[in-house]
Amino acid sequence: MSAGDGRTVAELLDDSDGLAREALLDMSADRALGMVRGWPQLMRSTAELWAVLPPDPTVSASADPIAILAVMGRAVDRGLGVGHWPGRGSRDEAWEQIASNFVQARRLLEEQPAGSKAVSTDGQIGLTTLKTHTLHALYIAAHATTVALTGYQRDLRHRLEVGARRRQPFTERPTALEVESAGAMIARFDAIEQLTAGSLAARRMDAANEPATGRRRPAMRLDAALAAWEIQSHRTLANHPDPADLVRVARVQALIATATVVVGEAAARRGEIDAGVIDRLSPTLENAQLAWSRSARRWAELTTPASRTDPALVEAAGQLRAAIRAAVANQTGWATPDEIAGRIDLPTTAMTLHRSLLAGVELAYVTREIAADHPGLAAPARVIAMRVQGEAEVAIEQGETRFEGVRWVTTQQLATNQVIPLPEPARRGLVNAATDVAAATNQAVAAAAHLSPAEQAPRERADRARRVGRVAREREIPVRHPNRGGRPR
Amino acid sequence: MNKHAMDVDTAETLAGVVRLIRQAAVLAWAAADRAAAGSAAQLFALGVDLAADQARHLVPDGADIDGPVPVGDEPAGLLRSAELLLRRLAPRAVWEAVDDLRATVAELVWEANTGVGG
Repeated sequence: MSAGDGRTVAELLDDSDGLAREALLDMSADRALGMVRGWPQLMRSTAELWAVLPPDPTVSASADPIAILAVMGRAVDRGLGVGHWPGRGSRDEAWEQIASNFVQARRLLEEQPAGSKAVSTDGQIGLTTLKTHTLHALYIAAHATTVALTGYQRDLRHRLEVGARRRQPFTERPTALEVESAGAMIARFDAIEQLTAGSLAARRMDAANEPATGRRRPAMRLDAALAAWEIQSHRTLANHPDPADLVRVARVQALIATATVVVGEAAARRGEIDAGVIDRLSPTLENAQLAWSRSARRWAELTTPASRTDPALVEAAGQLRAAIRAAVANQTGWATPDEIAGRIDLPTTAMTLHRSLLAGVELAYVTREIAADHPGLAAPARVIAMRVQGEAEVAIEQGETRFEGVRWVTTQQLATNQVIPLPEPARRGLVNAATDVAAATNQAVAAAAHLSPAEQAPRERADRARRVGRVAREREIPVRHPNRGGRPR
Repeated sequence: MNKHAMDVDTAETLAGVVRLIRQAAVLAWAAADRAAAGSAAQLFALGVDLAADQARHLVPDGADIDGPVPVGDEPAGLLRSAELLLRRLAPRAVWEAVDDLRATVAELVWEANTGVGG
C-alpha cells in the first residue's frame, strides 16, 4: 500500500471520527480559531475523497451536500485570505490530521479496488458506509467548531466587559467588532453543521427504504423516524412556528433523551456498552429530558384553544413515537433489556439516538432564537400579564431599569384575554429555559461521545480499546495535552 | 375530509372531542412530570397530545374550540368519552380521518388501562 501507514480506509475514517469527537468533548474555546483556519483544508480533502467514491443510487440528491459544503469552505478560505476574522494563523492539529487521513483514504481508494483489504480489513464495509462515515466525521467536526466558537465568543464578551469596567487600555481588551465577527462565524458554522446533519439524516432515511428483516426492522424504522423528525422539526421552526409547535418539539426531544437512556442502560446491562459510559451519560440525559420538559411547559402557557400544531410535525412526531414504542416499550412501560435486545441492535441504536441528540443541540439554539426575537410570537393577555410581572420583577432586581413602570398589557386586553404580541420581559423566561436546554443537551452530547460501537467492542478491536482507554484516563486528569504527537498512529 | 361542508353539530362535537383529549393530555403530562425522570408515562402523554392535535385539525377554521373544561381525574375516562363521541359521529360522518382518530383514541384508552399511562 503505497499511500500511508498501513491503516485501511475504514480505520482512517474511524480515527477521523474519533478526533472530531475528542475535539467536541474538549469543548475548548482556545482551539476555536485554529479550527476555523483548519476548516477549508479539511473541507477540501473531504471533497476530494468524496469525488473518488462512486455515486450511491440509493441516496437522494438532498443527502449529497458536499458540493455546497466545499463552496462554503472555499468562502471561509477566501475571507481568511483577505484578512477577515480570525485571519491567517496556526491551524488546529486535529483538523489537519483529519484532512491528512482523508487524503490518505482517497489515495488508497484510487489505487485499490473497492472491497479490498485496503478499504477494510474484513472487506465488509461498502462505499455507501464509507460516505456516511466521512459525513459523520465532518458533522462532528463542524459541531465541535461551533461549540468552540461559542465558548470563544463568550470569553471575548467577558473580557470586553471586565476590560471596560476596569478601564483597561483599548489595546488590551477585545473589541465589540471581534465579538460580532465571532458571532457571524458561529452562524456560518451553524449552517455548515445543519447541512451536514440534514444530509446524514436523509441518508439514514434513504437507507431505511431498503428491505429489512428481523430485528433490523424496528431499528431502521426508528432510524428513519428520527431522521424525518430532525428534518421536519427544523422545517416547522423555520416557518412561522406556533407555540404549540414548540411544545411538541420540546416534548419529543425529551422523549428522545429518555429513549436514549433506556437503550443505553439496556445495552450496559447486557454488556454491549461499557457500563461506566452509561453511568456518566444517564444523568446528563435525564437533565436534558427535564430541561426540555420545563421548556415545553413554558411554551404551553402561550397556547390558546385555537392553537394548531403543524400537521407535518404531528405526523413526524407520531411516526417517531410509534417507532420508539415498537423498539423499547411493552404493554406496561419500558421493555426489559432482553426484550429490547431481541428487537434492535443496542449499540447501533444507541449511536443513532446519540446522533439525534447532536441534532437536538441545534434545535435548542433555534428554540432560543425564536424565544428571543421571533416577531410572530403571541399569547393570551392574562398569561402575558402574569409572566411579565414575574420576569420584570426579577430583571429589576438584577439592575435592569428599562422595565420599571412599563405597562405591558392594557385593561381592555386583560378583560377580553386578547392574544397579543409577546413583549420582551415575557420572552426572558422562554430564553432562559432554552438556554438551560442547550446547556443540558450539550452536556449529554459530550457525555455520549464514547457511545461508538467501535469503542465499545474491546474484544474485537484491542488496539482501539487501549487507545480509548488511555484517552478516557487522560480526561479524568485535569491536564491539557496540546501536543498530540504521542497518539498511536 | 371536506371541513367546509361540516354541519354545526358535527363541528361542535369535534370541538368537544378536542377539549376532552386536551384535558386528558394535561392530566397525562401532570402524571408524567410527577413521575421520576425517564418514566414511560411520557410516551403515553405524547400520544395523547398528538391525538389532540389530530382532533384539532378536524375542526374547521372559525369553529369555536373554547368551552368548559371537561370534568374527570383520569386520562382513561376522558379518552373513553372522546371515543364514544367519535363513535356517535361516525355513522353520520364516515370520514377516514374521523375513523383514524377514533382508532388512535381507542389505542390510547387501551394503553391507559394496561398501565403505561394509567
